[in-house]
Amino acid sequence: MSLPSGMRSMTYAQDMAILRTKTHWTLFIGFLIVLFTLPLYLGSYWLGVANLIGITLIAATGLNILIGYCGQLSIGHAGFIAVGAYTSAVLTNRFGLPFLVGLICAGFMSGIIGLIFGIPSVRVKGFYLAITTIAAQFIIIWVINHWDITGGFVGIRVPYASIGGYVLRSASSQFYLIMGIAALSIFFAKNIARTRLGRALIAVRDNDLAAEVMGINLFYYKMLAFFIGCFMAGIAGSLMAHWIGFMTTEHFTLAESILYIAMIIIGGLGTTLGPILGVVFIRLLQQVLTVQVVPFLEGTKLLPAGFASGVTPMLFGLVIILFLILEPRGLAHRWNLFKAAYRLWPFSY
Amino acid sequence: MAEFTQLLFSGLAVGMVYALIALGFVVVWKSSSVANLALGQIVLLSSWFTYGMLVQAGLPPLLGFPVVILFALLLGWLIERVALRPLIAQPILSLITVTLGIAYFIEGVVTFIWPWSVDALPRLFPQEPVRIGLAVVSQEYIWVAGISLVAFAGLTAFYKYHKMGIAMRATADDQLAVQACGIPVTKIFSRSWMFACVVAALGGVLISSIGGITYGLVETGLKAFSVVILGGLDSFLGAIIAGPVIGLAESLGGGYLTPYLWAGVKDIIPFVIIIIVMLIRPYGLFGEERIERI
Amino acid sequence: MKKAIILGAILLAVMLAILPACATSTAGKVLKVGIMTPSTGPAAEKGSPMGHANLDAFEYINTELGGIEGYKVEVIWLDSAYDSAKVATIINRFMDEGALIWGTASSKEGAAAMEIANRAEFPGVVAFTSPVLYRPPQHIYGQLPDYGDDWAAFANYYMQNIWKGPGKPKMALHLLNNPTGYGARDAARALADKIGIEIVSVDEHTTTTTSEVESLTRIKAKNPDVIYISSTPAPTAVIIKNAYELGLYKPGAAGSVTIGLGHASITKALVDIAGANIVEGVYGVYPTVNWTDDVPGMAKVKEYVRKLHPKDEGNMDYITSWAQSMIIAEALRLAVKNVGYNKLAKGGVEAWRLVEKEGIQKLKNYDVGGLHGPVSYSPGDNRLSKSVRVFQIRNGTITPVSDWIDAPVIEYEKFDWFGK
Repeated sequence: MSLPSGMRSMTYAQDMAILRTKTHWTLFIGFLIVLFTLPLYLGSYWLGVANLIGITLIAATGLNILIGYCGQLSIGHAGFIAVGAYTSAVLTNRFGLPFLVGLICAGFMSGIIGLIFGIPSVRVKGFYLAITTIAAQFIIIWVINHWDITGGFVGIRVPYASIGGYVLRSASSQFYLIMGIAALSIFFAKNIARTRLGRALIAVRDNDLAAEVMGINLFYYKMLAFFIGCFMAGIAGSLMAHWIGFMTTEHFTLAESILYIAMIIIGGLGTTLGPILGVVFIRLLQQVLTVQVVPFLEGTKLLPAGFASGVTPMLFGLVIILFLILEPRGLAHRWNLFKAAYRLWPFSY
Repeated sequence: MAEFTQLLFSGLAVGMVYALIALGFVVVWKSSSVANLALGQIVLLSSWFTYGMLVQAGLPPLLGFPVVILFALLLGWLIERVALRPLIAQPILSLITVTLGIAYFIEGVVTFIWPWSVDALPRLFPQEPVRIGLAVVSQEYIWVAGISLVAFAGLTAFYKYHKMGIAMRATADDQLAVQACGIPVTKIFSRSWMFACVVAALGGVLISSIGGITYGLVETGLKAFSVVILGGLDSFLGAIIAGPVIGLAESLGGGYLTPYLWAGVKDIIPFVIIIIVMLIRPYGLFGEERIERI
Repeated sequence: MKKAIILGAILLAVMLAILPACATSTAGKVLKVGIMTPSTGPAAEKGSPMGHANLDAFEYINTELGGIEGYKVEVIWLDSAYDSAKVATIINRFMDEGALIWGTASSKEGAAAMEIANRAEFPGVVAFTSPVLYRPPQHIYGQLPDYGDDWAAFANYYMQNIWKGPGKPKMALHLLNNPTGYGARDAARALADKIGIEIVSVDEHTTTTTSEVESLTRIKAKNPDVIYISSTPAPTAVIIKNAYELGLYKPGAAGSVTIGLGHASITKALVDIAGANIVEGVYGVYPTVNWTDDVPGMAKVKEYVRKLHPKDEGNMDYITSWAQSMIIAEALRLAVKNVGYNKLAKGGVEAWRLVEKEGIQKLKNYDVGGLHGPVSYSPGDNRLSKSVRVFQIRNGTITPVSDWIDAPVIEYEKFDWFGK
């Protein structure tokens, strides 16, 4: 990373550190304090938005590992989140198992299903893999809809998450749970990125034939990437199920999968900060559009009927296209440029 | 037995519809190796535009259809110029995502201009069903099948014999070489997108005259992907053959398997076929296998 | 150039975010109601007129009736776009903004909001419901009989008026793959034997199906006497058209099957999409009146629709949502009368409990201007209106052929196959 001038790293640990300078540490601890005291002054609506952001973040980080680090195109992420959500729902509702068991099983189930649908990645890549994952999502959703134990089309009620007897009823308790797990997953992703595993994945992404020549076991690493990405999706799904309380497959559409891809691209592929920025940006944009803009436009009655309704997808599509054309490396890249400019000011040009 | 012939013919008929849309996809892939994931939405938009011309503006079909073709040409040119030209050398993820973004955008435009989500086109073909043996097939499907075959023949001939068609195939194969030969690559991309949109518009008009204009057109677009995968991404022949195959699989599978499995099996068959094809023969029945070198 | 675009985009985003905050907010004592409709998205052809109707009715209440017991109603209207994730955030927003009660259009939105609202004890009224929303009954109330009740009403009508043979008629079900369709299936599972109907096949279809020939071919082989379709207009049109082409359904001819529809399909949209000659003679169940019925409440409905949303005239769902707003207003009126405004103004759980106990649960024979069956609450049954009428499509118009039929309470949760 770029450090302020004058700082040198004397040991390997220093060089590899995530938070290097005192400024880094102060800002980071400050941010954590602000984050974990949010429930004190946010209403339940904004807490709900924050919870949604947290859940999306976990899934997006997983997807980033799969697409950003390993280069395996997967447009079926919502399906894997669904697997996690329903596993957790079925285990806690139908079998009465505790929430933590449901959470872990959700992750593993989703990871295994991801492994199964990731097998074609050994033979195909690029667009072919993308279509396979789209097909995977449709198959997963179809199976969930037609299997009696999951409640099928009618849906399944999910009891409150409870850890060791303490029932997480309020939005703020769920906030702590979700944010805690989100922080853990980001830390996990960052560490993957800086270790041997991450470097192997990046090698696979950049040129998988060359990587195989160098001795990286393609099959193992691609499967591992799928497993990790879908494991995190499963965890996110489980948290989502317990947060919403009633699960139907309507939450897991192809449009959601596309939105996830948009999030990580807009945020910045292949970086740890990228998913955070992308998720926050897109979810906040969604909220602003749904809650502020659309009723405002409809209320004015000046504009034709379809204006407000069409504006949301149009705006999203436009945002995706503009970001890809103008800033394909995403917001994380912009952030790095900003940091560099800040450091070099007044000589930043 | 009566059941079988009925399922057979209706499956073939529906399959030809898929094949028609798949042709539009193959056109883009054959020319620029770009996967057009916005295919369903382009079909939807063209159908709505046709509705707008024929019903809302009240143009007679002889005048309305050329306008629709012009619109499709314009749409293709616009998409290529605005969204794809800046991304010419980018990795495939960006290209696919940009088409996803275009898909979202077009959905928004459709909701913007025509907020009611369902409507019907005036019937273009006679309505009485035709009897083939014991089976009954709607005459409209037969017309669609016929037009698809004509389109297929026309496209194949174009790509094989016409100068522009050959240039398009060359571009898909190796852009640098084509540029070295002095062929304007950007013009070729432009033309191929315009072509593809016209084919998609044609498909859309035919399908919506049968079943009305709904979001189902987007899902039919997704099923066209399975046709394309099965037949091979860059093969017209593959699209024409795989279309009826998928239609048959849906029809017969749905007809015979449903009592044993669950209701709704019909919907999942195309996607299961995709997975199976990926595992066994990723490049499809007639597709060209890409040989990669470091 | 790039910078200019980025700067422009940021400016636009900031403006969009600030604009609505600049809108003036109503001061003074108000009663807040949250309304959520799928005005955009896949259900827009139903959701948009319903949203308009909700707002128009409250406009009527505020301007002409002077509000509820003198207090104006402030409507927080949000568009759910038929998206379950959005619904979850919207319901939280209603609770945050101090809404006393919420209303929504479809069963899908109700299901997505169900747990959150039930956990918070935030009462709501859903127009088109399915049994899972209120069995076992909690804090969600169904405005109209659900899709299961439709089936029961039609089955009874069929047995009494259409079926003339000995023995049991054979019925095939064709269901939309969501609670709309499955509500009918659940009712059939619970009651078919008792009514005396044999269900020979259960098929499903998607909202976007373009051909149902293969499922109808299978159904035709079983020789049913009646087909019941619980779906929305577009796929219903496809099914009836295919049935007509296969020779299964012959309007007006003897030996043809009878087709019955649930209330989500028997609207003018169906006649337009399928063509009047094909749907001639199809039966359907609908829980509200027609635009042509001369009931006391209809005059105001017509006046406001012509004034504010003329394109929605003729749409049956408009009547449904207008009635929903009237019911919500009546519930609030009872609550204000019984406990006074100040107890409700605080919002929160206490206010919601009072709105439920002293408002919604005190509804007794409220006639909603005659727009649909009378609204009453009976303990153990969260359906507010329980009657429907049977209609038949004759010459392209939907004409009533029966009087108001009451749908009985079905205690679904007693069956172990019912999703809990």
